[in-house]
Amino acid sequence: MTAAAESATVAGDAVALHIRDVGMRFGGLWALSGVSFDVPRGAVLGLIGPNGSGKTTLMNVVSGVYRPTTGEVVYGGRRIADVPTHAVCHLGIARTFQVVKPFANLTVRENVAVGAMYGRYGAKRSTRASFERAQELLEGVGLARVAERPASDLTIPDRKRLEVAKALALDPDVLLLDEVMAGLNASEVDEALELLRAVHARGVTLIVVEHLMKAIVSISTSIVVLAEGKKIAEGAPADVLSSPHVIEAYLGSRWAKRQQSLTAIERERLAAERLRADDAR
Amino acid sequence: MRHVRARPFDKLRVTLGGITGNPVAFACVLVAMALLLFVPLGHNGYLEIVFRNILMYAAMAYGWNLIGGYTGYVSFGNVTFFGVGAYCAGVLSAHGVQNLLAYVLVAMVVNAAFAALVGLPVLRLRGHYFGIATLGIGLAVADIVENLDALGASSGIHLEQADEAHFSIYYYAMWLVALGAMLATFFIARSKLGYAFVAIRENEDAAAVLGIAATRYKIIAWAISAMMTGAAGAVFAPANGFIDPSITFAIDSNVFPIAMTILGGIGTAAGPFIGAVLLAGANEVLQNAFVNSHTLFFGSMIVLIVLLLPRGLVWVFGLRGGARTWLKTLTAFRA
Amino acid sequence: MQLLAQDLVNGILAGGILAVVALGFSLVWGIMNIINLAHGAFVMLGAYATYQLTKSFGLDPFLTLPLSFVILFALGYVIQRFLINRVARAPILITFLLTFGLSLLVVNVALLIWTGDTRGVTTSYSGANFTLAGVTVPWIKLDTLLAALVITGLMHVWLTRTRTGRAIRATSMDIGAAQLTGVRVRQIYAIVFGLGAGLAGVAGTLISMSYAMTPSMGDPFLIKGFVVCVLGGLGSVQGALIGGLVYGVVEAFATQINVTIGTQSISGSGLQDAIALIVLIIVLIVRPTGIVGKAVV
Repeated sequence: MTAAAESATVAGDAVALHIRDVGMRFGGLWALSGVSFDVPRGAVLGLIGPNGSGKTTLMNVVSGVYRPTTGEVVYGGRRIADVPTHAVCHLGIARTFQVVKPFANLTVRENVAVGAMYGRYGAKRSTRASFERAQELLEGVGLARVAERPASDLTIPDRKRLEVAKALALDPDVLLLDEVMAGLNASEVDEALELLRAVHARGVTLIVVEHLMKAIVSISTSIVVLAEGKKIAEGAPADVLSSPHVIEAYLGSRWAKRQQSLTAIERERLAAERLRADDAR
Repeated sequence: MRHVRARPFDKLRVTLGGITGNPVAFACVLVAMALLLFVPLGHNGYLEIVFRNILMYAAMAYGWNLIGGYTGYVSFGNVTFFGVGAYCAGVLSAHGVQNLLAYVLVAMVVNAAFAALVGLPVLRLRGHYFGIATLGIGLAVADIVENLDALGASSGIHLEQADEAHFSIYYYAMWLVALGAMLATFFIARSKLGYAFVAIRENEDAAAVLGIAATRYKIIAWAISAMMTGAAGAVFAPANGFIDPSITFAIDSNVFPIAMTILGGIGTAAGPFIGAVLLAGANEVLQNAFVNSHTLFFGSMIVLIVLLLPRGLVWVFGLRGGARTWLKTLTAFRA
Repeated sequence: MQLLAQDLVNGILAGGILAVVALGFSLVWGIMNIINLAHGAFVMLGAYATYQLTKSFGLDPFLTLPLSFVILFALGYVIQRFLINRVARAPILITFLLTFGLSLLVVNVALLIWTGDTRGVTTSYSGANFTLAGVTVPWIKLDTLLAALVITGLMHVWLTRTRTGRAIRATSMDIGAAQLTGVRVRQIYAIVFGLGAGLAGVAGTLISMSYAMTPSMGDPFLIKGFVVCVLGGLGSVQGALIGGLVYGVVEAFATQINVTIGTQSISGSGLQDAIALIVLIIVLIVRPTGIVGKAVV
């Protein structure tokens, strides 16, 4: 029985994560305000929005790096803000970082082993068991061939894989992926999507922050859109992406107005074309 | 146990044999330690003192290596623990206790507590701030001891010593302390604890996200470091027969172990010993050759070590491409 | 009340010197991100330079101020260019050790030249003082404070108005951008380090007039310099000045306190380092950016 399924039967909760009225203020600026949604267990939630809309800030709040100015994030009946940063992974939440900085002077395997040693089930693992688990995970993400190399030697796509492996070493139920596909070319993106699907298949709930529309659309079960710190849309991918509010947030109001005068089919076709053009750029 | 051994050093920053460093180097160190057991048999008082000092500095270097090399918190105040350990012995001696083991045990307990206590505020500081704060601690404690009549103030404390025939007990005690520090380092480096330390050094924030309670482990590292250093001080005190603040809290004694660790190989299990042997040995030779200005040469040595061997010998000797790669490291930090 | 006022004045007078010490230290730290553990040794050299100049040439110590600056500037420039620069971007440990080793060298050279005997610089007006509202103010200390203020002011003007000064500030903000506008970073670093040393020399000269000198006199100034920088705020001239004055006053009051441990009473004056440490920790906990408050790493 997977870890996720195990805790699901224990918790008996169909919703993994409750995000309630979260607001985050830095000095005079509200990076987030009044953001609320639930993340169902086993979902793949895509989190999108223009630059500066607060996606990474929200990730930081959910993973316990920031304490929200207002509101709360509740997981398994506990408020994340009450838990110290190092204990968050013991609850079952893990994340990757946008700017990937592995432990440079350790080998790739050692990097992952650290997660296995100190993560959710780390207390029960010996050093040897941690390294074995690390090797397993490396094979799963396709890094077994560089397991002995220093982490600083890795290419960008490999570093991203390493980030994911490290997060998986924590045996999470919920995995937050912050722009894991930034900087990857088309085939690398496909590989990354494969990897995420495999992770999801093992019962992990995913929250994926991405700019790449094609990627988000292909993998998400539902999407939340942020703009200027507020949630402006939530729902199934197709609905969300053709919503005039979303289009306006990304493409401006003139385009949105033009959209309203088109038929539904034409709208969808144009939206899809737009997305393809964006990706090609 | 062992996961697969790495090929020796692809590039500059590779680790070998996990985070203990080159296992061959450590084996050599153990052999050297075994040989050192025979020194007192030669009945040469001078040599015994020289090697006892080497062992003492080795223990101090291992202490620094744990907090500075493995955990990445560069302490410039570890000499405080040495002094506290020495004064533990001094105070016990003044109260009639003659037992070396008691000195060492008390010194270790007191230093662990002291390190934990001081570490709580000070280990929150990073980088430069931590370094200077520890320097300040050293100076402050020295100040306090110098003013406390109960601790002999600046006149110091005289300790009862073993007689001539049994004097080598101090040598063997110091040997045990050094061995203990060495083995502790080796086993910690192979255990989960060692990886916690190194993770903190590499990226403390990332380590926290991976479940490592950084504050707790930093304090553990510093407490162990304090115990090693304090034990050395506790043996030094009766061996020397006399302690005062200028001897036990000397700022220069702070730097010796650091320079040794760097020379030998920072963040390795063999480095501190190798550095201690080389540097203390060199210092001894220089002291005899240039009685007046040997500190001058010591200062120069530090400068040279820093410029030429910033990571230490154990790392350098594993480098492929040997001298050429090493030469490249010399310009790596240029502005 | 009288005593308090006297302490206050003493503190301010001493604080001026600390400000100059801290200024040099802060420049090097703020602009090059190097903590120069040899700064105290440079201060000591400045003091001895003054000693030697007054002894050999009979100069008035205040006249040696520019000379002391020039000598130490040159020394600092050379040291940076050929030694420190090689580790300019190295981890903290390396620069700490290098500057510490340097400090050892400098102190020992001084020991060889001038021996460990305590020395002093005296003038015909050394003991003179005046009394204002019941508070005694030694002339020398007042002149020292004035000199300190003038020097701080000059530095501020130089950094903001001259071409080199602006190049320096540009380098501290963004090396890449500075280089693109034609700033030669190595040259700037050498100048900055030279400045730091020069200011240390000047501080040493001022100190020599009021305090006794030994080759190891630099150590307490290193720690206090650091604390003043943190207290005042890193990388700013006003910060060094304000921090210096505030610290001077705090120290003047703190040394009056008597701490009782067991049956013994210890006067605060023997615990100056402990005071420095306590101030440091308090500042770092309460307001890590310092009084003037620039962003600090």
